[in-house]
Amino acid sequence: MKKLVTLFIMAALVTVTAKAALAGDTLADAKKKGVLVVGCKDSLPPFGYVDEKSRQIVGYDIDFVNAIAKKMGVKVELKPVTSASRMPQLQESHIDIIAATMTKNAERAKVIDFSHTYFFTGQKFITKKGTVKSLKDLEGKRIGTAKGSTSEQNVKKTLPTSTVLSFDDYPQAFLALQQGKVAAVTTDEAILAGILAKAPNKDQFEIPNLLISDEPYGLGMRKGDTNFVNFVNKTILEMEKSGEAAKIFNKWFGPDTQFHLQRNFKIAAGK
Amino acid sequence: MLTYTFDWSIITSGKYFDWLLSGLLTTLKLSALSIVLAFLLGLVIAVMRMSHNRVARWLAHAYLEFFRNTPLLVQIFFWYFGSYKILPTVINDWLNKTGFEFAAAAIALTIYTSAFIAEDIRSGVLSIPKEQMEAARSAGFSYLRSMQYIILPQAVRITIPPLINQFLNLAKNSSLAMTIGVMEMTYQARQVESYTFKGFEAFTAATVVYLVLSIVITALVNIYNEKVLNVHKAA
Repeated sequence: MKKLVTLFIMAALVTVTAKAALAGDTLADAKKKGVLVVGCKDSLPPFGYVDEKSRQIVGYDIDFVNAIAKKMGVKVELKPVTSASRMPQLQESHIDIIAATMTKNAERAKVIDFSHTYFFTGQKFITKKGTVKSLKDLEGKRIGTAKGSTSEQNVKKTLPTSTVLSFDDYPQAFLALQQGKVAAVTTDEAILAGILAKAPNKDQFEIPNLLISDEPYGLGMRKGDTNFVNFVNKTILEMEKSGEAAKIFNKWFGPDTQFHLQRNFKIAAGK
Repeated sequence: MLTYTFDWSIITSGKYFDWLLSGLLTTLKLSALSIVLAFLLGLVIAVMRMSHNRVARWLAHAYLEFFRNTPLLVQIFFWYFGSYKILPTVINDWLNKTGFEFAAAAIALTIYTSAFIAEDIRSGVLSIPKEQMEAARSAGFSYLRSMQYIILPQAVRITIPPLINQFLNLAKNSSLAMTIGVMEMTYQARQVESYTFKGFEAFTAATVVYLVLSIVITALVNIYNEKVLNVHKAA
């Protein structure tokens, strides 16, 4: 028994170190292979979702990595990831970069490297209309979210008396809200706006103006992959300068969309 | 350069240890409750399946085919989300307030596993040659007494190994309950991972827990087999 456990741990260790040895310079490797493997969301409009007509994954995140890949002169291969799976997938080199609504925070930055902030939002709640006026209305209530996201940790801090139920992804959390199994679903406002826009009976729900945290999104890359990180940062700064970044924002969130969001941020170095 | 430094201390003490422990307790509760209920339900279904009543036989057959041949994950979603459409509002409101996750998972696990258990019990009984029943009857035993003294003791002995398999499957399948927010072992391991990024440590702990749980279940059933049923392992 003891031998077996030792053997298992050793085998796992060998795998981890073997993988580690492979992670080198993504910029050079991707150029050589001619393809950049991107971990993205595939059911989260408008960041990454399957377009009904083209059957392709499209969205805000996708447009950014497309621009980066174009500059590198390589093709993009999209791989759907979940909030919980994206970091291990990156570390194990199944993907080269995460473009999946990922919030930058200090804990994550210990393990992976982030680009400059390419999207900025804040965490809010979606609730049945008229049920929640202030945060007090959510005390002691059951609140749904998706596993592996920062949303869960924020809500536990803000509302310690509430019960947080983590579902596999946001569609299930929203279904639980529709059925009254939770009083609210919490995550970043832009994601909530996407859920609400897609909901069949959207007039029954609302997003009250209760902000509980800032959520800057970054593209995630392997720790110490400096060449690639610098290249990505340079590219998105150029996109900001040329107005391409603002164009992408307006394409997915602007006045012509169902979200009507104002762009209240700029991509800048050191952020 | 990617490096992974192991830090076992995060799962052996403090907050994350408490999470894993509460996950373990939930897994134990969910598994134990479902094993007992699945066994009893399986027994009932097996008896129905072998009965002389045609309606009972047909019902049991339909039950078996339906629940054996659909994925457990779909059944969990069905009980948790699907039952909402069938149940009256009063019951839904009550369930939502008290938290339906655990119950929905227990119902799904019980029903799914009971179908397999019923078939195992039935095949155990059928494997006893019918001449034994005839001999017992001609020796003056009633039908029930023949079952009690002659058929069932042998059938149970045959059924024990496949039953252990079903119990083990159930204990491991209970991890699917996390998809509807039941905070069991795997849920908590993932939780620890998303807070600390120490997934390797957390999932190693979960692996060891499932391994120990499985070994304990096997040992318990074997002890019951030997001590209570007086069945001894064949040499």
